[in-house]
Amino acid sequence: MLMPKKVKYRKQQRGRMRGKALRGSTLNFGEYGLQAMEPCWMTSRQIEAGRIAITRHAKRKGKLWIRVFPWKPVTKKPTEVRMGKGKGDPEFWVDVIKPGRIIYEMEGVTEDVAREAMRLASHKLPVRTRFISRESRELR
Amino acid sequence: MGFLIKCERRNDFGKNAARRLRREQMIPAVLYGKKEENVPLSINKKDIFNILKSETAENTIFKLDFDAGKKDVMFRELQKDPVTDEILHADLIQIAMDKPIQISVPVLTVGEAVGVKAEGGFLDFITREVELECLPKDIPDHIQIDISSLHIGQSLKVEDLDLPQVVSLISEPNVILVNVEAPHKEEEVVVEEEEEIIGEEEEPEVIKKEKEEAAEKEKSVEE
Repeated sequence: MLMPKKVKYRKQQRGRMRGKALRGSTLNFGEYGLQAMEPCWMTSRQIEAGRIAITRHAKRKGKLWIRVFPWKPVTKKPTEVRMGKGKGDPEFWVDVIKPGRIIYEMEGVTEDVAREAMRLASHKLPVRTRFISRESRELR
Repeated sequence: MGFLIKCERRNDFGKNAARRLRREQMIPAVLYGKKEENVPLSINKKDIFNILKSETAENTIFKLDFDAGKKDVMFRELQKDPVTDEILHADLIQIAMDKPIQISVPVLTVGEAVGVKAEGGFLDFITREVELECLPKDIPDHIQIDISSLHIGQSLKVEDLDLPQVVSLISEPNVILVNVEAPHKEEEVVVEEEEEIIGEEEEPEVIKKEKEEAAEKEKSVEE
């Protein structure tokens, strides 16, 4: 599962998810991509589940880029513990996703295969997404 | 094709004024370059679309007509909304038609690689644009590269491009443009996946400052 190798601090504050993705919102590597349309905390398990769905459908052909990484630790207090006595222990890792963020990119497969693979992956993710390709971007 | 675009100087600034402009199908823009003062402008969205739909797209040089006269300009940067893809703002730069400029031109592949067609590999398009220097009138729409002779493991570099004599290359010549990669072996990947899922999660190492580390060492020595 994805998580950082080293961190400066074990625990983080939660923060807010305001605005749109300022970076990571254009296709930089592949021909096709999956773009988030809503903000969320995407866990390492969700990212991994999406990756497995894509590689299985593409039958390991082509190349996949994962454009997100769970940098943020989320803490949780154990069950049936009274409030107070400090912050809980890190439980899982998330990436803060803002609308417009590219999650996966693909190359080396046909558009149909990429579209279906991304559709399957999108069902593993907690947000509404859209499939984008280099040629599909219309002028608005 | 030469474009002549009429635009107006912008007197209202800030996000409220910019939003008002966008509602009227205009796009806020700024013109700079040639060591002249920056000029805030508003341009009709349709005019920008016409330019972007032309063959040279963002590298098109066009004439801008406003109260300071007609000027040769090109896009330096276009800001787009990441969700709606709407154009939010345009940066325009004045161009001297007799001086060479640096631009990035898209690379297009021609043909289907042998490595993909017959050997089962896949094409990895690594670098999609190259940096060139040329006179504004000589800007190419795109640069074609023939990939039909590529086998698995072979690649084409920037130095392999057939460039017109009027342009000079700025990108590093040893940068790889296209690469034909071998298909992944199934077994290896499956094992790796299972290991990842089964493997227990450990907490990552916390980076400590030197002072803290020294203090910890001292403590352990005292004990």
